[in-house]
Amino acid sequence: MSSLNLPIETDHLILRPIERSDVEAVGRYHILPSVQRYVERPTRYAEDVAAAVAVMRAQIVLHRPGDTLTLAIVRKGDKVLVGQVSLQWSNASAGQGELRFCIDPAHSGKGYLTEALTALIDLAFDHFRIHRLMARCDGRSHHSIKLMQKLGLRLEAHYREHALFQGEWDEELHFAILDREWRPSTKVVDFRPRSAAPDLPRAAI
Amino acid sequence: MALRPDYPLLTDRLCLRPFTRGDVDAVCGYRGREDVARYLFDPPLSRDECALAIQQRTVQTTLVEEGDRLVLAVELREDKHLIGEVSLIWRSAEARQGELGWIFDPQFHGRGYATEATNALLDLGFGSADLHRIFARCAARNDPSWRLMERLGMRREAHFRQHALFKGGWDEEFYYAILRDEWLAMRQST
Repeated sequence: MSSLNLPIETDHLILRPIERSDVEAVGRYHILPSVQRYVERPTRYAEDVAAAVAVMRAQIVLHRPGDTLTLAIVRKGDKVLVGQVSLQWSNASAGQGELRFCIDPAHSGKGYLTEALTALIDLAFDHFRIHRLMARCDGRSHHSIKLMQKLGLRLEAHYREHALFQGEWDEELHFAILDREWRPSTKVVDFRPRSAAPDLPRAAI
Repeated sequence: MALRPDYPLLTDRLCLRPFTRGDVDAVCGYRGREDVARYLFDPPLSRDECALAIQQRTVQTTLVEEGDRLVLAVELREDKHLIGEVSLIWRSAEARQGELGWIFDPQFHGRGYATEATNALLDLGFGSADLHRIFARCAARNDPSWRLMERLGMRREAHFRQHALFKGGWDEEFYYAILRDEWLAMRQST
């Protein structure tokens, strides 16, 4: 897939690759039980965080299916790292991707994830030409559910007791959105009104 | 829990038993059909492919370890006619999960045979196999299939849209599931 200009800037945030010096900031949320669930590798203890950061630092391109792009969410003013988002390119022929997200609870509820994920979804559909994006969350995570709904993702699956997670029956939700469902009104910006159309040479009409 | 059922399993009208080599013609009768293969991963099977599939199935009669599948021929008790097949796959030992599947000869649709056979397999899964949850899936357009799941008391857990390609088009898929407690409650109320 084509290369990407990083960092990405939104109104209040900068999305940039994870850096070695992020260990402390990432550790603040990475080792929380609620976050454990959907990080790629378990980081139960503080000493695991550096290894997780090392893996995430390399997640900066989507060259082939299976690759992941992971970006730190950094607040513009004070450059504080408040969380992370990632996009995994899971399947090429069917154009499938998966979104993941975590936020430091100290900075949750301020709309940072909404803003970061909006930018990441734009990127997935417009730049990477993904056809369908999905995201998973714990069935009891009301914040995640609200976030998915606010972004316009549809609930596609609600699994009950389909697996054990840390000794307990699990409940998992899958949300998804297709490229044509994402901001449908913006998909027609190139469709100029008829009066403005004839930039074409007359002979071609 | 490992499952080694005593065959055959009998219901009111049906006999569920392991496949034998003599089943090739009957299986070809439905697995060779375009309309039967439409929602299956396999294309319509040739006679040789049917013979090979049956050869594999003759030993798929127990669940000993995770990933094992049990595939049984469904036969009418009345005249020994083979009308289809049902399967139970052991998906997870730790979380006691199983997947139910079936394929029936369209000539015998609409008489409740599939419901009868799959109910027997649910009883086996939640009974001797001690599963916690059994799920099944089908193409969203395959109405008879998901209607059967609803008759079995399964809940629709997932509706995936365009999550994969299937036979040259976008796939749309339903997942249905039933938990042990739900199965128990259903059996106690009938």
